[in-house]
Amino acid sequence: MRAGLEVHQQLATSKLFCDCPSELSEEVRATVSRKLRPTGGELTGVDPAAQFEASLDQTFRYEVVPTSCLVELDEEPPHAINPDAVEVALELALLLHADPLDEIPVMRKIVIDGSNTAGFQRTALVAVGGWIDVDGTRYPIESVCLEEDAARKILEDRGEVRYRLDRLGIPLVEVATGPEITSPERARAVAQAIGALLRATRRVRRGIGTIREDLNLSVEGGTRVEIKGVQELRLLATYATEEVARQEMLLRVKAELGRRGAKPPEGEPTEVTELLRGVKSGPVATALARGGRAFALALPGFATLLGRPDAPGPRFGRELADHARTAGVAGILHSDELPTEAVGEEAVRSIRSRLALAEADAFALVASPDAQRAVEALARVRRRAVAAFAGVPPETRDPLPDGTTRYSRPLPGRSRMYPETDVPPVPVPRERLEALRARLPELPDATRERLQSQYGLPEDAARQLVQDGEAVRFEALAGRGHPVPAISRLLLQELPALRARPAFREPSDEALGELLSALAEGRFAKEGLAPVLEAVAVGGQRAGDAVSAAGLSLLTEDQLEAVIERVLDSNAALIAERGRGALSPLMGDVMREVRGRFDGKAVADRLGHALARRVERASPGT
Amino acid sequence: MVETRVEFEPKAHPWAAIRKLPIGTEVEITQPNGRTWHGLIVPPHELSGPETVQLKLASGYNVGLQISAADVLTVIARPRRARAASPSAAAPPPDGPWVALLRTGGTIASRVDYRTGGVSPVADERELLSVFPALDAGGPVRVSSVFERFSEDIVPADWVRLAEHVGAAFRHGARGVVISHGTDTLGFTAAALSFLLENPPGPVVLVGAQRSPDRPSSDGFTNLPAAIHVARTAELAEVVVLMHAGVDDGKFALHRGARVRKMHSSRRDAFQTRNAPPLGFVDGDRIVLDPAARKPTGRPFHVDERLDERAALVWYYPGLTPARFRSAARGLRGLVIAGTGLGHVASANVRWLRRAVGDGLVVAMTTQTLAGAVDPFVYSTGRELERAGVLYLADLLPEVAYVKMLWALGRSTDPAEVRRLLREDRAGEFEPRRPLEAGP
Repeated sequence: MRAGLEVHQQLATSKLFCDCPSELSEEVRATVSRKLRPTGGELTGVDPAAQFEASLDQTFRYEVVPTSCLVELDEEPPHAINPDAVEVALELALLLHADPLDEIPVMRKIVIDGSNTAGFQRTALVAVGGWIDVDGTRYPIESVCLEEDAARKILEDRGEVRYRLDRLGIPLVEVATGPEITSPERARAVAQAIGALLRATRRVRRGIGTIREDLNLSVEGGTRVEIKGVQELRLLATYATEEVARQEMLLRVKAELGRRGAKPPEGEPTEVTELLRGVKSGPVATALARGGRAFALALPGFATLLGRPDAPGPRFGRELADHARTAGVAGILHSDELPTEAVGEEAVRSIRSRLALAEADAFALVASPDAQRAVEALARVRRRAVAAFAGVPPETRDPLPDGTTRYSRPLPGRSRMYPETDVPPVPVPRERLEALRARLPELPDATRERLQSQYGLPEDAARQLVQDGEAVRFEALAGRGHPVPAISRLLLQELPALRARPAFREPSDEALGELLSALAEGRFAKEGLAPVLEAVAVGGQRAGDAVSAAGLSLLTEDQLEAVIERVLDSNAALIAERGRGALSPLMGDVMREVRGRFDGKAVADRLGHALARRVERASPGT
Repeated sequence: MVETRVEFEPKAHPWAAIRKLPIGTEVEITQPNGRTWHGLIVPPHELSGPETVQLKLASGYNVGLQISAADVLTVIARPRRARAASPSAAAPPPDGPWVALLRTGGTIASRVDYRTGGVSPVADERELLSVFPALDAGGPVRVSSVFERFSEDIVPADWVRLAEHVGAAFRHGARGVVISHGTDTLGFTAAALSFLLENPPGPVVLVGAQRSPDRPSSDGFTNLPAAIHVARTAELAEVVVLMHAGVDDGKFALHRGARVRKMHSSRRDAFQTRNAPPLGFVDGDRIVLDPAARKPTGRPFHVDERLDERAALVWYYPGLTPARFRSAARGLRGLVIAGTGLGHVASANVRWLRRAVGDGLVVAMTTQTLAGAVDPFVYSTGRELERAGVLYLADLLPEVAYVKMLWALGRSTDPAEVRRLLREDRAGEFEPRRPLEAGP
């Protein structure tokens, strides 16, 4: 395989073309509905991807939030490009050894899936060329771009897609590597290294969805396919592996079609509603019961190539179904997966005879309450089947949580970009670059080594702090004299565990410092750190209040003694049987009652002594 | 005899070759540092530096390259001819109801101008129908261009020309007329047509776009078809402006031409009827009109062609000295003042105003609050101004009063008759009732 990566990282500045904060919001103040239609670029016609979306004739609804203004709504021209964001992009370009352009023109990239209210995304090429070394291999960097993030898709229902405006306009830097990545594991390693470099600029946003990867991949004999918007780095290698398998499957289908001498399907969908009246269950029955109609399309020479549902690996039938769904139907049935319990042998036989199919021929079947959609879905199935004769069609695919991907739209062509005339190009004077070069941040490897030597951190903790972009915060807290183990536990375990929570807000350095001080002063038990942090980062409490609340529930020595005695009393049999060996299960019982209210180590100590006393009392002779 | 001359010319600068290459030429430019750029030549950006070529790379991005003498240029391919959009604007059949679409330029029919970096009107007459392929789906639309200019470049003579074209369209049997117009001065043109067109037999719908059509989100894509729909079907016989009713696509407001004003520099719903609710709304195919909307009457249709431009509109402000104010009125027959509040200017102006009125200047007062009406009787300055002969024009918008002044001056040389015409309700421009819900 050959693959290139595009890493998109949100910046922690205000938005790229207006003065709104780069913050997500759950407070929807109003909604606005819009239509989009494609327009021509400067040289060629309308982009195929744009045309495809227009054919869907969708209404888009946008949720207005307190952190959006008229610019996100496309009710006001963009403001001048955010100079802070330009600076981060230039800094990153220099870190990647890339050459910034003398002048940065802003372009409009046509995207009419509704994710941008204007119908285009504003994007600017900042630098070209460059490289990054990962595990001893040098990977070329093709470009560094600065662009605005798209609106956040909230839901999609037939004919209407709903987006929220909070994410629209957040600055993104996009780092694109050359197509020189040769394995799924390397794709992940390169993404990780670029991510660490991005965080080294210290001006990037953190949390789920703030960094996203696009993977461009082809196998020998295949075509470039773009998997767009991977949010989970751990799945990147899986997507690559699955895509390799999918392209190989498509190449096998192509070869087999050639071997069979099959011809691309040309026929029109045939109505088969009457032949399916006997179907009593399943989606076909449901559609027909709602007054729907069913249509079938002959796929000559495709028998066995669509794949049985129990066959392992990617199946061509799923490609057809994905394309059918873009016409707004629930899916298709095809002859390789028939008969089923619902659509029996008799129905299959009658469809085959209606379509005059030979043994080597397959068919696709669509039933829908909307006959027009069903016919359109089969037209798309036919187009996809025709494309099978060419092998792997270039396209954009959506990553799914299970590690597979789904067809999304055709690969956009070059004509989707034209100049954004509302924003003047940004000149990049040489002096500005030299000034930036003079104060570039430390590179991730250097930071890791310094953390190890200066603070005595173990290598993996230092590496993780750098990887997570926490080195700066670590040093700030360590510089204030907080103990290193407590800081790294806070930054590497407790905080990351909370980030996936919807209400999570990154606590300030001051708040974290306050928690660490309170912990050192014994104002709450070590085990109390997680709940106190949660109260601050998720519950929105002030650090002082969260600490006081935790302190109120602290146990006195006497109270702890009482709990221990009670646990020992109720476990007399266990103690008699296992003696001091009962410590571990007993510790569990005690901690269940006192977790966070007394230091765990001290509890173990007290419990050990108390247990020893009991064991001695029980067997004075030994 | 042939004269031969040997010259030792330095190697030609590559810029000399590049500047002559047509747009769309595929080239490769290798710089001294070894970097090679491969792309198509596209029109330069207005703010590009000297000797800079704009290349569109395969990625779609444009880069501006400053060409130096050491660059090496290779022409890869000459431009391919762009396929022209197939025009669907066949001449409408001679019978059956049809709509005239008169173009005046402006944002609803414009493209990106890569030379200036701004938006400019389209050059191609038929491009409009290539942008709106379904425009004539409901019936024939006959497109013609009256002039092509930004609305800020429009002058009063253009209003007359436009009125004549509207007149011609109705005389040739148009059921309704749509005028596409830049939004900046659309309110002025709407007011002018309201006075120049007497008893129009059908709807005259002015329409524009606040977002240029070079972007997929242009409001023009929905405004124009809605305007055509109104012109084709509405029981309406007056000049109206159709624009978005709110920031949603798909809901439109109809504003009376002599009561409408652009109240926002960029929003889609910038146009508002002042002091009253809009004259109507359009939602999909449904058109809802206020009972006050004027219906066809069968009364004779007449197009006025006289405007006297010897008038000015002056916005009063603290610091406008009587001398400067007075000089603005020199040589004029009419003066419209956008006064403060209920219709005031500093009382130091009363004297020269009284003299000027005595000399035949028609002076009309409106309010710069743009909502509510003027009233001379509440404060003493107002009473003095009114006694000096300043005409108080109730709730007429300052711009509408100015346009009406040109029209009235064109109808009569007698100041008393001009004052009578100004006071008379001609096109529904006065609204005596101001309900609470009309807002401030």
